[in-house]
Amino acid sequence: MSAPRPGSGADGILGVEPRLVFEPAGEAEAREAMQACARDRLRVAFVGGGTDLGLGNPPSGLDAVIRTGRMARVLEHAPHDQIVRVEAGITLSALQAALLPHRQRLALDPPFPARATAGGLLCANGFGPLRTARGSARDLVIGATFIRADGVLAHGGGKVVKNVAGFDLPRLLFGSLGTLGLVTSVNFRLHPLPEEEATLAFPGLSPAAVRGLVGDMRQAQLEPAAVAAIWAGGSLDLLVRFEGFGPGVSGQVERLLAVAGKARASGGRLAPPQAAAAWARQQTAREVGPFRARLAIPPASLEVGTRALGTLLAALPGGAAVWYPTLGLGFAGGAPSGAEAVATAAGDARGALATSGGWLAVNDAPPEVRARLDAWGPAPATLALQRRLKAQLDPEGRLAPGRFVGGI
Amino acid sequence: MGPLTEAARGALAARMADVVGRAHVVSEPSELLVYECDGLTHGRTRPALVVLPGSTAEVAEVVKAARAAGAPIVPRGAGTGLSGGARPVPGCVVVSLARMTRILGVDLENGTVRVEPGVINLDVTRAVAGAGWYYAPDPSSQGVCTIGGNVAENSGGAHCLKYGFTTNHVLAARLVLDDGLVLDVGGTAADAPGYDLLAPLVGSEGMLGIVTEVTLRLLRKPETTRTFLAIFPSSDEAGDAVSQIIAAGILPAAIEMMDSLAIQAAKAATGLDWPEDCALLLMDADGPAPEVEHVHRRASEIARACGARAVQVPRDEAERQLMWKGRKSAFAAVGRISPNYLVEDGVIPRSEIASVLREIGRLAAEAGLRVANVFHAGDGNLHPLVLYDARNPGEEERAAHLGGDILRLCIRVGGSITGEHGVGAEKAAYMAEQFTPEDLDTMMKVRCAFDGGALFNPGKVFPTPRLCGEKPGPYEPHPVERAGLAERW
Repeated sequence: MSAPRPGSGADGILGVEPRLVFEPAGEAEAREAMQACARDRLRVAFVGGGTDLGLGNPPSGLDAVIRTGRMARVLEHAPHDQIVRVEAGITLSALQAALLPHRQRLALDPPFPARATAGGLLCANGFGPLRTARGSARDLVIGATFIRADGVLAHGGGKVVKNVAGFDLPRLLFGSLGTLGLVTSVNFRLHPLPEEEATLAFPGLSPAAVRGLVGDMRQAQLEPAAVAAIWAGGSLDLLVRFEGFGPGVSGQVERLLAVAGKARASGGRLAPPQAAAAWARQQTAREVGPFRARLAIPPASLEVGTRALGTLLAALPGGAAVWYPTLGLGFAGGAPSGAEAVATAAGDARGALATSGGWLAVNDAPPEVRARLDAWGPAPATLALQRRLKAQLDPEGRLAPGRFVGGI
Repeated sequence: MGPLTEAARGALAARMADVVGRAHVVSEPSELLVYECDGLTHGRTRPALVVLPGSTAEVAEVVKAARAAGAPIVPRGAGTGLSGGARPVPGCVVVSLARMTRILGVDLENGTVRVEPGVINLDVTRAVAGAGWYYAPDPSSQGVCTIGGNVAENSGGAHCLKYGFTTNHVLAARLVLDDGLVLDVGGTAADAPGYDLLAPLVGSEGMLGIVTEVTLRLLRKPETTRTFLAIFPSSDEAGDAVSQIIAAGILPAAIEMMDSLAIQAAKAATGLDWPEDCALLLMDADGPAPEVEHVHRRASEIARACGARAVQVPRDEAERQLMWKGRKSAFAAVGRISPNYLVEDGVIPRSEIASVLREIGRLAAEAGLRVANVFHAGDGNLHPLVLYDARNPGEEERAAHLGGDILRLCIRVGGSITGEHGVGAEKAAYMAEQFTPEDLDTMMKVRCAFDGGALFNPGKVFPTPRLCGEKPGPYEPHPVERAGLAERW
């Protein structure tokens, strides 16, 4: 195993700097690193592309960091079976580039694709508007290998898309932020690249109009691949993309225009360069900082969600936001007008969302905001069970301690 | 926990009657007979009692009473499972959810429905079909199996390739834990902060707790469905067609395959006028009309190019339903061509279909038995039906042995020992061939987090059941234990 190097400020997670940094070049080295951490009882966190290091609370302490950047190989791609097995540190862009010659893709479109890694997509729930048709990493993961806190290597799932043998460990890792183990490889189901796609834009809609149009689309049995509503100063610019074969895409475009016409929503199909720019705009809205939050609500309560975006943006002058109406999820980000103001706004938004069964989590925030705002909000009723799960897999509480919900 | 004494059994029955009412406790040996097994009928164990609670509160009290009496609990839905997942263990209390059959609320704005676990799968779709919605997972037993059982087994069906399994359609669940505590897991808003507790729960085969309410995702009915039946000279060409159709970027709503023996059985049961000595592919495409027409045409062309002798398109919905009836009745139909048969359930990579079927044929010939194959070809989920005659000495054992060899073949080509029927009691032994001891130990730790005393459905899934905190091999104190910070429990 290559010896760990001393940590520096750049290796820190939310300002908590590790003493040691391991950069294993594969599963065997990763295991040695985890065993070294177990032997010396080191508190350790895992870093892939670092796109979601701001998610959650700062670790309560950190002795070591394991970076997965040198574990970036495609281990197996079976184009006929439409599955891929990759090391955890491969970036989404690198993976898509490897799949492109086979006209396949991993159907995830999160922000920062050049940095986001396979392990991070699973453990930090990286997704974008394509989730409408294809689901999240939870729906696309079919297997995973990870190393437990005690240095033991474990697998769950497998290489086939249908498999119910044993408890579903890969999905348990979904969104677990490296608190249950170090993911070393992930198996994903793939999809063919669509033959054709078309984007329609309906600018300047009210939240109610967005909810109405999305409902009409569903009523008309249209099946969009991606839907996003970009915040445009109180109103929303709605983007809808269809994917599939030529006749299906053009047929759905015509039908949506008819449906929108009836609802008096004006808009139309964008030429490819404008479409690319429009989708890039929704992605950028999720990349602005230094404050970023994610919000959720049952999809039909869309206006509660977009009002919460407005509440946040009032404290983030010049900020940006996007709402995914089919998913009931949204993101807002920007530079706070003041720490107190944004913490209060986030608290208000969180309260409003909670009354409709929703929640708000902090994706990133400057330290002075964190001092005033819990990253996760009130502890869930299942916290005791979650703690027992953590205690089973990491009894000494050494993996990313304190970063997760309820201080886990 | 050992079996209860007769006196303890009587006392527990009385306690249970206080909770659920005397009419809902089954304790007479003759009445317990029907609970001795599930859909897998060749392994039978009589439970101590069967209790049928009518509410979450009653389930919680039943759990507390069973635990206090030291009796394990085996949860049960409709008992249609094919892996012995609901098979009782000696001295257990079977908790049947058959009385909890209410549909609690339909919310089409959010595309959800909240149901009790005893609701029949197909009744969910029936409740919302009028408004143009449906519930996607459709196991072949959907007319009788329950949602609670579907959650326990992570049930699939013919439409998984496009629409996913039960785990992709459960948004929330109400769960009774081993101490009677009631917890709500998940929610209608996506991705609630914290661990995804639904992930291990769905497919946990009743080993983590009892689910008493489930919120399911509903889907809007697709605008159009087009179906065709393609007739191939053999499974080789049919398997090739499946690969080619999917390689062309087509995601069929369902693509099912039957070999010659399965066709013979289905014909005998339904009177369908299908040819014999061939292999059949039955494919559904669904979605918006222009897309579906295109996909249907492309897939038919590919089938012909791969050697299909004919591609039949149903003239109307009735004929389409009949084609599907032929497929869905195939399991039971095999009873018409063989006195006894085993239903296997394994998964292989889709691209291996033709070679695996040839190997199954070779293994069957070696064993001197026949195997009918009917399966979900799109996701490589095989259902080999091993035919035998129990009256011939040694044949049942040979059939079981052949079934095992087929599962090992699935593992060898990179697949799984079960795609939708679950591990249950039947396949626990094979888990050690698909997973390492460390993998199983990790799954056991998850079990221990939920149910530290192994109260729920003990003896299932794991090849060598262990108590929580017990390590495989020689005992070795954990550093935390040595430091006096914790002890095993």
